[in-house]
Amino acid sequence: MSTVQQRRLADQTARSIFLVCAVLLIVVIVSVFFFLGSNAFRLFFERGGTSIQHFFTSTNWDPTGNNDPNSNPQFGAGGLIIGSVVITLFSVAIAIPFGWGMALFLTELTPKWLANILQPLLEIFTGMPSVVVGFLGLTVLVPFLQKAVAPLTGNNPSAGYGWGAAIIVLVVMILPTIISISVDALRAVPGSVREASLALGSTRWQMMSRAIIPAAAPGLATAVVLAMARAIGETFAVSLVLFGSSLPNKLFTPLVFFQPNINITQFIASDFGETAGVSRDGYWTLAFILLVISFLFICVSRYLASRSVYK
Amino acid sequence: MSVQVGQAPLQAPERSKELTRLLRRLHTNNTIATLILWLLTAIVVLVFIGIIVLLLLQGLTYLFNPAFYSTDPAHIDASIAPELFNSFYILILAEIFLFPIALAAAIYLVEYSRQGPLVTAIHFAAETLAGVPSIVLGLFGVVVFVSDAHFGISRLAGALTLLCLNFPIGLRLFEDALASVPRDLREGGLALGASKWRVIRTVVLPSALPGIITGLILTAGKIIGEAAALLFTMGTTNPRNVFSLNPFIASDTLTIHLWYVKTQGAGTLGLSAAQASAISAGSATLLIVILLLINLAARGIGRLIQRRITSA
Repeated sequence: MSTVQQRRLADQTARSIFLVCAVLLIVVIVSVFFFLGSNAFRLFFERGGTSIQHFFTSTNWDPTGNNDPNSNPQFGAGGLIIGSVVITLFSVAIAIPFGWGMALFLTELTPKWLANILQPLLEIFTGMPSVVVGFLGLTVLVPFLQKAVAPLTGNNPSAGYGWGAAIIVLVVMILPTIISISVDALRAVPGSVREASLALGSTRWQMMSRAIIPAAAPGLATAVVLAMARAIGETFAVSLVLFGSSLPNKLFTPLVFFQPNINITQFIASDFGETAGVSRDGYWTLAFILLVISFLFICVSRYLASRSVYK
Repeated sequence: MSVQVGQAPLQAPERSKELTRLLRRLHTNNTIATLILWLLTAIVVLVFIGIIVLLLLQGLTYLFNPAFYSTDPAHIDASIAPELFNSFYILILAEIFLFPIALAAAIYLVEYSRQGPLVTAIHFAAETLAGVPSIVLGLFGVVVFVSDAHFGISRLAGALTLLCLNFPIGLRLFEDALASVPRDLREGGLALGASKWRVIRTVVLPSALPGIITGLILTAGKIIGEAAALLFTMGTTNPRNVFSLNPFIASDTLTIHLWYVKTQGAGTLGLSAAQASAISAGSATLLIVILLLINLAARGIGRLIQRRITSA
């Protein structure tokens, strides 16, 4: 009888340990929101801080007050937010046709031998360290862009850095995300849908555009949303090629893409370590903004996933 | 697809001409679309292969230079031995936390839990955590592990931050591994009167081993390549006693050192420009080589164990 009891005890113990580990996940995410949130709002209520309106509308970000004769700190994050939004939107817009195209190719057209080569390549890039891509952007892409736009900028030595390079680097970073999630969405569409469409006399392209893509649409949209979440938080790849300290003076020319520029993550990565006190509080607010944005993206992707017919 | 509905029927030769034209248009569209898909894929593949080749070309020569791995204190600045050591140290330390915890959580979700609010909450938490940018988790690590837990900027704080970062990824990989074990095996064990925990230990875990090891290797790849979460939790510089196993000292990794050398400039680190570019190009190539090996291992080991188990 005692061995039975012992076994039951072991069973119960194992179960509770597993439960604790699973619940730990909820504890982690709740504490991420709690600890970053509790630090994020201090900036708006303390001496030397700033108002919410100023934070979002001003573009003067100088939390240590180094650039001010009276060393008054400035917390205008408008420029940083513009930078993050612009490079995210442009990189996703460029990555979408390539990502969806390659996903369609992989699921509908590719010969078996080619799939066996492409799948590992994709897996390698899914785990590509962002600092390595950034390094390549810095050593290969930036000099290339610099030469390419030299006639327009008059051989400005800092040309080539900036949004343009960051967008290209980001495309490389988010393409694997878009492709692999889109491939999952397209593979989830059952073969009977394809067969039905082909049996009605459709060409392959009609089958894809009229049957497969509409059936997989929510999944394809999820791929884009998750890619945006990844793009807005991408740090090292982007920070290496942005190289700026403030928003350029002239925003509305095409050349703005080839001047040193800024975004949120670059500033956190390069300056957070050297700050303390009030000036550090500005960076907590920036981090919390990123957290909220990525949380919204996840909510949208969950909503889309809940609407998809095939999973 | 508009084939004259509601109009007077066409004469036979005209009708066939009409149909031929329609057919030709559809086939042209099909050919164009197929060509575009081939082209898009070709561009992506060429870029990806180009990136790998460029990375290998940039630094392969440095990798065969013994001085690049020198542990001699006099030349330590120009070698990446400390960073290489730290990268693998943090990999093992982080996996010591991550592997058992993520596996246990996966076992709970796959074997014990029933559909309900708790499971939904856990999956929602996992998805949300997976979407949090790593730099943000790095700052979370600064608040909790570096300041509140008083670990300071240290390897331990870095490893715990990596646990938070890779928990959802590990959980998903291990869940997949466990879910791939057929139901009959579990039912067979339970029907023989074994307790649930005994069935998990003796039936489920051994059968899921290839998937579990693949998951372990894939999370290892994530940890080796991670940088942003470690920047403020583990530090950017090395102490003198870098080759110790002390988890409470600050240290950098290959990725962070690469970023640091590239952004801070060679001068502040006491390096010549040539040394700095050797370090950055060499570490980038080394990272890519390690990543390629990890991918190969993840495929190979999974298959090898599968074969051994199924043949035994």
